Amino acid sequence: MRAVGFLVRKEFQQIRRDRPVLGIIFVVPLLQLLIFANVLTTETKHVKLAVVDLDRSRLSRALATAFSNTDRFRVVGFTTDVAAIPSEMRAWRVQAALVIPPGFQSKLVRGESPALQCLVDGVDGNTAAVALGYAEGILSQFLTEYARREAANAELPEQPIRLEERMLYNPDLSSRQYMIPGLVVALLTIIPMLLTALSFTREREMGTLEQLLVTPLRKHELLAGKLIPYLILSYAELAVVTTAAIVVFRIHVEGSLVLLAGLGLLYLFTTLGLGLFVSTVTESQQQAMFVAYFLIVFMLLMSGFFIPIPNMPLLLKKLTYLDPMRYFMAIVRDVFQKGSSLPSLLPDVLPMTAFGLAIFSLSVLKFRKQLG
Amino acid sequence: MTRASADRWEDGAAIQTVELTRRFGSFVAVERVSLRVRRGEVFGLLGPNGAGKTTLIRMLCGLLSPSAGSAFVAGLDVARAGEAVRRRIGYMSQRFSLYPDLTVEENLTFYGGVYGIRGKPLRTRLEEVLAELALGPFRESLARDLPLGYKQRLALGCAMLHEPPILFLDEPTSGVDPRARRSFWDLIHRKAEAGTTLVVTTHYMEEAEYCHRIAIMDSGKVIALGSPTRLKEEHGCESIQQVFLKLLRGDGGSTWQTPRSPSGESGVLGS
Ligand SMILES: Nc1ncnc2c1ncn2[C@@H]1O[C@H](COP(=O)(O)OP(=O)(O)O)[C@@H](O)[C@H]1O
Ligand SMILES: [Mg+2]
Repeated sequence: MRAVGFLVRKEFQQIRRDRPVLGIIFVVPLLQLLIFANVLTTETKHVKLAVVDLDRSRLSRALATAFSNTDRFRVVGFTTDVAAIPSEMRAWRVQAALVIPPGFQSKLVRGESPALQCLVDGVDGNTAAVALGYAEGILSQFLTEYARREAANAELPEQPIRLEERMLYNPDLSSRQYMIPGLVVALLTIIPMLLTALSFTREREMGTLEQLLVTPLRKHELLAGKLIPYLILSYAELAVVTTAAIVVFRIHVEGSLVLLAGLGLLYLFTTLGLGLFVSTVTESQQQAMFVAYFLIVFMLLMSGFFIPIPNMPLLLKKLTYLDPMRYFMAIVRDVFQKGSSLPSLLPDVLPMTAFGLAIFSLSVLKFRKQLG
Repeated sequence: MTRASADRWEDGAAIQTVELTRRFGSFVAVERVSLRVRRGEVFGLLGPNGAGKTTLIRMLCGLLSPSAGSAFVAGLDVARAGEAVRRRIGYMSQRFSLYPDLTVEENLTFYGGVYGIRGKPLRTRLEEVLAELALGPFRESLARDLPLGYKQRLALGCAMLHEPPILFLDEPTSGVDPRARRSFWDLIHRKAEAGTTLVVTTHYMEEAEYCHRIAIMDSGKVIALGSPTRLKEEHGCESIQQVFLKLLRGDGGSTWQTPRSPSGESGVLGS
């Protein structure tokens, strides 16, 4: 088993001299952090709002004022013509429209829940989702104040639960707070998968795998000697990125870092296994790179990293359950933002573990069979 | 089959194959090869490209499993005692297959470690090999920067660091200049004198003269076997090159064309 030590050392000697790999390990994450911190974190402010007031009551005007009083929205016009909104949106003059239906005030006074309509330009999905969140927030505040001021007998209309959640755990709806934990997940996917796949196919391409196979090395030693270095590197990456997120980018971690590290290890079984799998179905480093990127893009898109899963069409939503990254994404965001503990994370931890074990053992079996 | 071959096992044999066969689909790359290589012998496998030399060696090393027949190396059945066989052999592949991004010393240390040598014995052995192969001046060079002749020495070094009693060298001299080839054969002979058994493939016919015994292969079959002197006498020829041509004419079934040496280099077959 001590031969594994020589394999690990050799791998690190090679990594030290390999510029592309060093780039993947150090430059890419750094760039991504910078981009996420500076580009994506420009918070959604001054969303151009059109108010379609069909009620023209005291309360409907008060609601419009509530919207214009925040810096989240900038009221760019009042109209009574809903049909005019789409063309305004196409011309980029309006990003969102608040439609207050006739009878808004009277229903509210009677203690009913009047329906409001909020039209949002979905071209920029993130801004749209955030704007909706703001709208819900403003509305809830408006209603609370109304209830307090107006009448003791006016029942408070039901509030959506999702709304409460946002207000509690990410009150600014800061995308930085939301995206950077996601970046941790992305890195724990990309780095181990790509590096493992490349390092195995490189050995096959160069003929060094054949040379290793005539040594008395056992297959499990060969595997361990390959996977351990990338496990260590991925872990170092996790530590560095998390530290940078906390120290440099002031991301607040509610939950336990130990829990995060433990579950990260579990997730690495999936991604190292996938890397190994990619190497067994490809012949060259180029092919491996291609297949790995394909998988990574699929996993990222289906994970809720860029596109929130609740915003997806039903079919895609179902497809996300096949993405092991989805579970870890949910886990990491929960640990970062809500400080969730293991029991409450189990609905994500269990499928993630199942995926990890299945992918890892299948890849190991396939790898062994291939070596004959 | 195994029983019969075990019965025929003779003392003093380093390698013995019985009707060893390898098919790739319907194509037969090695066909019913039966050989015996004595301990301390330099045994040459000659033949044009595609003759099946590499496939045969890969079966002897346990890298490929035979389709039929059996192989014994160092007295062990390769099919059953793969790991024990691998401890007792060194293999230098036809393609340079060391780590180009590691230095000479790092490559040697790595293979030493993988073969279970470490600590002081490893350092001692490292110095011995560097001295024996005249690689000392290159110890800090990356393998990829070595001249081809020295790459092949390094490959030999990695294959023999663990002092295996049997060495398989697949085309160790291909592509290097005659002077470097000559000195590589000197190394081979020094190993043989020290008691190592060597199986060496080549497509340079004149290199047959450096071997104690040779097997000439064509289209997967062994078509002649014996010492170079005896083969020349048997066929009344001046050189192994002529023996080869005569055999092919007699055989008639071969598709191999008469080799020419446009470069003036004598007896370059195939390639
Ligand atoms: N893995 C393989 N799959 C299919 N055919 C192969 C394979 N390896 C070798 N061959 C074929 O077997 C024949 C013998 O090859 P090889 O043993 O490499 O010859 P040599 O080493 O004498 O040049 C060649 O025709 C080659 O194309
Ligand atoms: Mg060959």
